[in-house]
Amino acid sequence: MEIRNEVREFVARQYLPDASAETVTDTMPLITSGIIDSIGMLGLVDFIESRYAIEFMPREIDVHALDTVERIESLIRAKLSSSKESAGRV
Amino acid sequence: MPELDPKPDSDLLHEWLRESAAARPDAVALIEEERETTFAELFAQAQSLALRFCECGIEPRDRIVLALPKCTDAIVALFAALLAGAIYVPIHPRWPRERLDAVLAECGARLLFDGDGARPRILDLRTGATIAWPAQAAREADPALLTRITAEDTALILFTSGSTGQPKGVELSHRAVSAFVRWSAREFQIASTDRIACPSPLGFDLSTFDIFNMALCGATAVLVPDNIAWMPRFLVQFLHQARISCWYSVPSILAGMLREGGMAAHSYPDLRLIFFAGEVFPAPALAKLQAAVPHVLCANLYGPTETNVVTWCRVPPSFDGSQPLPIGHPCPYAAVRIDESSGELLAGGDSLMRGYWNRPEETARCLVTLDGIRYYRTGDRVAPAPGGGYLFIGRLDRQVKRRGFRIELGEIEAALQSHEDILEAAVVAVEDGQMGVWIAAFLRLGAPGAVTLADLKAFCGRRLPPYMLPDRIVFLDAIAKGNRGKTDYLALGKIAEGLMRGD
Repeated sequence: MEIRNEVREFVARQYLPDASAETVTDTMPLITSGIIDSIGMLGLVDFIESRYAIEFMPREIDVHALDTVERIESLIRAKLSSSKESAGRV
Repeated sequence: MPELDPKPDSDLLHEWLRESAAARPDAVALIEEERETTFAELFAQAQSLALRFCECGIEPRDRIVLALPKCTDAIVALFAALLAGAIYVPIHPRWPRERLDAVLAECGARLLFDGDGARPRILDLRTGATIAWPAQAAREADPALLTRITAEDTALILFTSGSTGQPKGVELSHRAVSAFVRWSAREFQIASTDRIACPSPLGFDLSTFDIFNMALCGATAVLVPDNIAWMPRFLVQFLHQARISCWYSVPSILAGMLREGGMAAHSYPDLRLIFFAGEVFPAPALAKLQAAVPHVLCANLYGPTETNVVTWCRVPPSFDGSQPLPIGHPCPYAAVRIDESSGELLAGGDSLMRGYWNRPEETARCLVTLDGIRYYRTGDRVAPAPGGGYLFIGRLDRQVKRRGFRIELGEIEAALQSHEDILEAAVVAVEDGQMGVWIAAFLRLGAPGAVTLADLKAFCGRRLPPYMLPDRIVFLDAIAKGNRGKTDYLALGKIAEGLMRGD
């Protein structure tokens, strides 16, 4: 839940400055609804990359994969576990 | 100036593709990530699809709307539309449904390409039926497609922001697009060895450059994946790895590549041309660009959608960014003059639009005939530049640019005012020094708390394209008025500046 709440807080702070974090639900569309635009996506990707020390590949930047708090969390978890695996192989 | 390769005589844009396919069938016309399409394949696919259009009863000058990212299938569809004598209407796939519907109705579209599956869906809007893509592409030229239209006919309609709340369609003929593309090919010696990239979507006039120079010169158009079109780090990687020789984008993309993308880290031995258009390139950032790629010819191409490029200015190799770069001298096909009373730039010539689709009155309002030449009133205030040519000063109206996209603030106000809980909306834009402008919307509601910010953002998201969404929405009990009762945009602008800086 921690990742979800961090993402939720970031989204509220950055894109809905006068709203509280609770208004951002797990399944609320963020990009397809217009709350986050393409430049906003850049900020979201930067936040995820720096906060969780992961690096996206170009083809992972996908509107649908980043559209809700729930999906963003799954994406982060998938990236974290794949980076652990590749670290284990070294 | 001698031409590098012989060029087709026709000004019909699809004939260029036909001739390139005959002259160099196996050369690569298009690259989309791992997918390469040769000229022969591209022409054959476009021709088969054009014949399918004809079977479905598409007539010359019918409108075919492409709500697609800039992908191989979209380019096939665009040339197919032109081969069938039809008009292509490119719009961004992420435009909200209501705006898409408004455009479909406004232009009386016959076909719609959309969807994000493996292949786009082709919808016949008259019957509601889905049309299948042709299974086999015939390589032999079909004479049925040869004489359907002339170069004076419309090739495409580009929809742009309208101040009354409805987007308006700029109608451009084959001849108008050809004037610009032929000039650019000659002036910059575009050749079959060039690899051209333009991250702008098809609905942006910049996209006539890469697509049609590919067809005219036999060059390769390397498509920038839609999902990274605003990601500086990935764009820099792309520019470098795809060995691009010619780049054309809005300044804010290039500024982002320099500032956040680490653009200066590579040397780009293949790169020889960088063009930018659509908005003012902040001079200090432009100086950094020229310094990062000293071997590259960088140039500003100026012109509104209604005229495409009409003036241009090369960045001097010694440009230090202490003065703004002029918009430069007229292109040889353009007619350009200043309205002495207002300082407005008037632009006409071969690249001028036919008019706004289906809007004779609005067309008549913005076109003026002087000494027998038709000019478009650009709304841009200019002055003679010290070294010759013209210098951009500012706008005469409330139009602003964000990331090169043109925005009429009145269109955002109209969208907000269509919400039942909003009594009044006033929208202002302040310069942000990076991406163009920061937009604030001030609203007076029917009842306090009648609507939440998240709902309102979603409401706007259903009506306006992403680049038009306000950065900040502010609820006010009353909206400032001047002494004649008109909205005091100056006062609101000051509030907005404070909000942007985080006061």
